[in-house]
Amino acid sequence: MLNCLSRQIRALPFTFTASCRLSTLPTLENIESTEIEEPPLIYGGYTNVRQAWVSNLDTTKDNSSAIIDLHPQVFGSRPRIDIIHENVVWQRKYRYVSYANTKVTAEVCMSGKKPWPQKGQGRARHGTRRSPLFKGGSVIHGPRSHKTHFYMLPFYKRVYGLTSTLSVKLIQDDLHIVKNLDLPSDDPEYIKNLVDSRLWGPSVLFIDDTDTMPRNISLALNEIKHMNLMPVYGLNVYSMLKYETLVLTVAAVKKIQERLLYQLHRPDCNYANRKFQLNQQN
Amino acid sequence: MTSFTNKNILNLLRNLPRISISNLKNNDGAVKKNQRGRAQHGGDKHGHGNKGSKARQNFMRPGYETGNNPFYMRFPREQYYKDHHTKRQYPPLSLNSLQKMIDLNRIDITKPIDLSVLCNTGLYSIKPEDKHFGVNLIDEGADMFKAKINIEVQWASESTIAAIERNGGVITTSFFDVNSLYILINPKKFFQRGEAIPRRMIPPEDAILYYSSAANRGYLADPEKISWERFVLSQKYGYKLPKIEDDPDYEMLISRKDQRQIFYGLEPGWVINLKDKVILKPIDPQLKEFYKS
Repeated sequence: MLNCLSRQIRALPFTFTASCRLSTLPTLENIESTEIEEPPLIYGGYTNVRQAWVSNLDTTKDNSSAIIDLHPQVFGSRPRIDIIHENVVWQRKYRYVSYANTKVTAEVCMSGKKPWPQKGQGRARHGTRRSPLFKGGSVIHGPRSHKTHFYMLPFYKRVYGLTSTLSVKLIQDDLHIVKNLDLPSDDPEYIKNLVDSRLWGPSVLFIDDTDTMPRNISLALNEIKHMNLMPVYGLNVYSMLKYETLVLTVAAVKKIQERLLYQLHRPDCNYANRKFQLNQQN
Repeated sequence: MTSFTNKNILNLLRNLPRISISNLKNNDGAVKKNQRGRAQHGGDKHGHGNKGSKARQNFMRPGYETGNNPFYMRFPREQYYKDHHTKRQYPPLSLNSLQKMIDLNRIDITKPIDLSVLCNTGLYSIKPEDKHFGVNLIDEGADMFKAKINIEVQWASESTIAAIERNGGVITTSFFDVNSLYILINPKKFFQRGEAIPRRMIPPEDAILYYSSAANRGYLADPEKISWERFVLSQKYGYKLPKIEDDPDYEMLISRKDQRQIFYGLEPGWVINLKDKVILKPIDPQLKEFYKS
């Protein structure tokens, strides 16, 4: 994916290449060694590069020692609240199936007998008690079961939903970046204290680039209902908003930027944004 | 959205409550109710007030003369657009856009350019189902056109041909039938089907003249006549015709498709196996005879 992106960026003319250079994040090893001497990262023509502290999880106290540059198209994009809203509504609806059901006249379980004679009673004529006019009878225009609410949001609304939400989270100080998810112990109290002391949360979502998470944090968060772990491929608007604080690892940031920048600049964007079909491949 | 987000917008958000699922809202008017309400859902007067002639009036359609033969139908007329839906369409591509695609490296000019390359840029597309039969290269931006290319189009005007040949390029107009067009605009989809590449059909009766004319650089024209027409055009437009023979890209510039060929370098009858990355060629003499040009 990175190769593909860099090939495409290389194919762009010089001026444009300079303006959308990929973030070259410092690797974990050289964060300590070059934290002072390292020159600031240059993001071509962008003047509004976002920045964040890279903190740690191995001590309760925050020992932020490095600053990470974040791509403005991903972490500083225009916060489109309406697109975030559309994403949330879509995420709720596409998996929702309404099982509400009412019976039509033929399905009502009741005697088929004529309730009273046609004439001579001084009462209205009726042929069956199953009619919607009767209590316990059928329902007119009622819900019928298995109604799916599935639809697909246009592709770029989904992409912009992610960039908008990440930008909103960053500007509202609800997005924090850590070196990795290594904890010194698997005690749930440790991570609770850490979150409390840094004024995170209370609900926190930790995101890493792999889906095999470190042992300690997995065991600790297993006990805590309002904190969760998620791989980058599970990143979605609904979860980011559901949890008050979002904690990304440096590797996750790198992967998110890489994936989203690819989608924002891919040449076959018309193909990606085509109308969704049920038998659609990829 | 853009990278040039106004910082004030972001700074405003800093001082606002946390955005969460509970306080999201769509833009006003974003969800449009496009149904007329019935019964208790607004089914009342529908904008026509209360009773009377205005609530009940029904205007006649314009031109209706209460049963007389209307004026607009009384006289015979020339049907300007008669049969327009059956005619071949050639969606335009300007030389300006072509130059832009080349400058942005969407097109590699060290190789011959055909419809397949143009469609793969993602900036130009044709729909054979809408009677599109290929690209019409128009002369907009002819003065600014600077690339030396070998291009195959389906329709080109004289000034377009002049603009390309002035820069030492080569242009050919060639016809593709509908089946070949579908294959050409999305080769990957065709190769995945695992079928043999078919032969390209010859043009229909009303297109034969265009594609066999040397002045149009038709692919069925005599090459000798084409080189004469190249000279004639250079005299007419007043430029010095660059010598293709002395060009370092001579091989690329003279490469042309056979009149039965759809892809450069791939002959009819071959099967492209994308999975194993092999090309299967027919060996049966009967098949070879069938696919022969």
